[in-house]
Amino acid sequence: MGKYIAKRIGYMALVFLIVSFLMYSLYNLIPSDPARAELEAMKSTLKPAEYEQMYQDLRERMGLNDHLVIRYARWMGLYPDVQDQGFNGLLQGNFGYSNFFKQDVIKVIEAPMSNTIFINIFSTIAALSITIPLGIYCAVHKGKKIDSGVQVVTMVGYSMPIYIIALIFMFFFCVFWRIFPISGTKTAGAIYANGWEEFVDMFKHICLPVIVMTFASLGGMTRYVRSSMIDALSMDYIRTARAKGLKEKVVIYSHAWRNALLPVITSIIGWFLSIFSGSVIIENTFSLNGMGKLYWTGLNNLDYELVLAIQMFYTVISLMGSLLMDISYGLVDPRVRVDK
Amino acid sequence: MKKLISLLLAIAMVLSMTAAFAENTAEKGTVIYGSSTEIGGDFAPGAWWTNNATDKMIRDMTNDYFVTTTNQGGQYVINETVCGGLSSVVNPDGSKTFTVKINEGLTYNNGEAITAKDFVWPMVFACSPVATEVGAKLTGYLTYVGGQDYYDGAAAAVSGVRLIDEYTYSVTIVADKIPYFFDMAYVADHPFSIKYWLGDAVELKDDGEGAYIAGLTKEAVEAQLEFARFHAGEDRVSAGPYNLVEYDKAALQATFVINENYAGNFEGQKPSIEKVVIVKAEDATWADQIKTGAFNFYDTITDGSQINTALDIIEAGGFEYVEFNRAGYGMLNFQCDFGPTQFEAVRHAVALLLDRNEFANTFCQGWGGVVNGPYGTGLWQAQEAEEWLENTLNSYAYDPELAVETLVADGWIYNADGSEWTEGNVRHKKVTAVEAGDYVHNVTLADGTILMPLIIEWSSSENNSVSELLNVMLAQGEQTKAAGVQINQNVMTFTELLNYYYRDGSQGDKYLVPTYGMFNLATNFTPAYDMSYEWTQDPDMVAQGYNLNRLYNDSLDALTMNMVYGVDSTDPTTYMAYWKAYIMLWNDILPQIPLYSNVYITLYPDWLEGYEQDSFWDFNQAILYATVAE
Repeated sequence: MGKYIAKRIGYMALVFLIVSFLMYSLYNLIPSDPARAELEAMKSTLKPAEYEQMYQDLRERMGLNDHLVIRYARWMGLYPDVQDQGFNGLLQGNFGYSNFFKQDVIKVIEAPMSNTIFINIFSTIAALSITIPLGIYCAVHKGKKIDSGVQVVTMVGYSMPIYIIALIFMFFFCVFWRIFPISGTKTAGAIYANGWEEFVDMFKHICLPVIVMTFASLGGMTRYVRSSMIDALSMDYIRTARAKGLKEKVVIYSHAWRNALLPVITSIIGWFLSIFSGSVIIENTFSLNGMGKLYWTGLNNLDYELVLAIQMFYTVISLMGSLLMDISYGLVDPRVRVDK
Repeated sequence: MKKLISLLLAIAMVLSMTAAFAENTAEKGTVIYGSSTEIGGDFAPGAWWTNNATDKMIRDMTNDYFVTTTNQGGQYVINETVCGGLSSVVNPDGSKTFTVKINEGLTYNNGEAITAKDFVWPMVFACSPVATEVGAKLTGYLTYVGGQDYYDGAAAAVSGVRLIDEYTYSVTIVADKIPYFFDMAYVADHPFSIKYWLGDAVELKDDGEGAYIAGLTKEAVEAQLEFARFHAGEDRVSAGPYNLVEYDKAALQATFVINENYAGNFEGQKPSIEKVVIVKAEDATWADQIKTGAFNFYDTITDGSQINTALDIIEAGGFEYVEFNRAGYGMLNFQCDFGPTQFEAVRHAVALLLDRNEFANTFCQGWGGVVNGPYGTGLWQAQEAEEWLENTLNSYAYDPELAVETLVADGWIYNADGSEWTEGNVRHKKVTAVEAGDYVHNVTLADGTILMPLIIEWSSSENNSVSELLNVMLAQGEQTKAAGVQINQNVMTFTELLNYYYRDGSQGDKYLVPTYGMFNLATNFTPAYDMSYEWTQDPDMVAQGYNLNRLYNDSLDALTMNMVYGVDSTDPTTYMAYWKAYIMLWNDILPQIPLYSNVYITLYPDWLEGYEQDSFWDFNQAILYATVAE
């Protein structure tokens, strides 16, 4: 097992390097000039010769005159930095410098990442606690009215774009019934007496985004669990268990569900890994400062070091996720060996 | 099933509990400002690092005491609250020295006294290489005498910046920036606490050779600068009408309260609105955000349909609005060194083929108008010359017949085979080899005659409602086809458009080739109307991105240079004479076609009294005059 994990980590490092080079090259293929963008606002205050001098100096400082491979190596920390001549890149833990926010990327990411994780934890837990029991219930009551009803609702939720769901929920819950605040994560100008008040205020603000995200994700997982359970319930060992006179609850949860869990486990792990990734649509609709919105801002403002840092972070998460899924197979199903 | 019902009941209970929290907390006296640009969080002076519009507003709300500033009309005035005396003298070498006397008794929000040192150190810092090392975009070394030597390390002090006594300092501006009509901008300095911004390790000194900052190194100040830029709280040292008491990075929300130590703006005006909170407004849901109390102030609504939505909200009660004209316009911009758009008659014809009044009315939904030159109706120059502008300029009113006559008179009278132009075809003109250049659509006849077709390649950015309307009203318009003009719309990203517009070879050789003759863009003016170098004929400067119209006209170049660099700031009459001459010539040559100049509105709560705003009188200035209605 240990050998297998070490080998996989070696592959992951190789994939990471290839992906990082591809991503870096792709962003550098986009025709834009960060030095020009940087100085554009100052152009009217400078004389042409002054502008040209500053432009050339800035290109030099930003390392834009170097070859793509050198720039990539510098970004990775495999080539000396332009200014301090030290190795100071991704491999040394430097996620880069945001040209838009004029701050280290790691500092820019801090607040949006914590917001995203906070929101996603709630929506993931809520979605799993609804979809798994619902899927099992529908499978057990397959063909009954309640199953048909849930199928219709989940199909609607699955088919409808999330921004439509968000706007409909917003209209009813915020504008019509005035149950939840419409945007942000904090009441404007609120001063809190303690941390609990702050938590409650934030919680009430994120309730509706969490409800929308949960509703939008109900369809897929419910149907997945349902079909997996239906397969498991049709197996001979279930008939045998029932014939032995076991209680229906034991048949469903101990025999059927444990076997149905196998195909579902990959999705569940995938969901938990997705707590780091924000939703561009939800965050923009509800004015939440999360990773999706930050990514969008970075792209719109050609802030490639920021965007690349976010993407490389997700690359690492995905690679680790796939390793985790493979290992989890072995843990859930003793028949599966993951040592080769 | 029972469990499901129990779960639903539990959810309903939680919902009803949270409903109690969700009450609108906006109270009378608190302005909750919905900003369409989210806060970046960088509150450094000027645009030392970043140039985010909301950050700038926050900086301006918390830092005032400018020695010179702009008034409600955008004209520079001396701030008498701060400045007890401002004198200037032109030196024999052509440089100009301003001597500034600061009033005693001014303090920061923490009660510390403000002295001349607080005005001088930012100027010295702007001349220091340390500013560049920490990533600040400061160019003071190009403006002050001795600044370049200090920047290069050839001098220990900035000889042109002097600390005369505790409340007096002087600044000498380099000769090649003088005379300058807007030279008052050179002394639009304001105070910052050196202790807060650079820390205790440095000190401003003047030993008789000029001012310098002792102990200034990157290592000594970098950490403190980083802290000062992004910090908000009671301990943030500033000298403006408001204190930034909180910035919630996670919620992107900034909270301000009145600075009790503030002595007033240039008119002595102090704020009376106790609290201002800035929150993010979303384009798609701003109206619902206002209705539900997420914010109660929405600044500068630009889009016609949004204005109509805002008026519905106002009609429902609780809100008022103020309207003002944009100091700028959206336009069709021509590149005039190749293809059909190099000919003045073609540019005139395009203007005559577009019903600009109808265009502006449709695009702005009644909230906009048309200008006939490079100005916005919000500019003080335009307001001063309003009657003259109306009576003098050619409005290029919609007239397809005149467009055809203009083209015929200019020689656009041939078909592609050299025969006389017939309806349904694109017009052609006989051109010289120089005029023809490498324009891709040119036709060369058997006898060597070169015919240029009236095909205009138009670069328009994607997802742009102006482009869509232009395509319908101009490019696809029947009048355009009937006149024998073909306009090809080429949709691309805005970055791609700019690369073609700048002919930026660093992004690829294809951008160096003149390809598009027409671009739809927009512009805004600042109070300092300075078009110098906009019409330069120096090829190096053009390559750097000046004169993007590529229109080489001696008079345009001379007028725009003389307007600001040939007139002293004490001579507005001569300045206006140059301004009018420039506007008139521009209107005749027509390097751009102004399409629309919006009317903006700002929506505010009806308990706010005395709120007046215009394009050069922003929220942070106007709010000082607003009061809470009894």
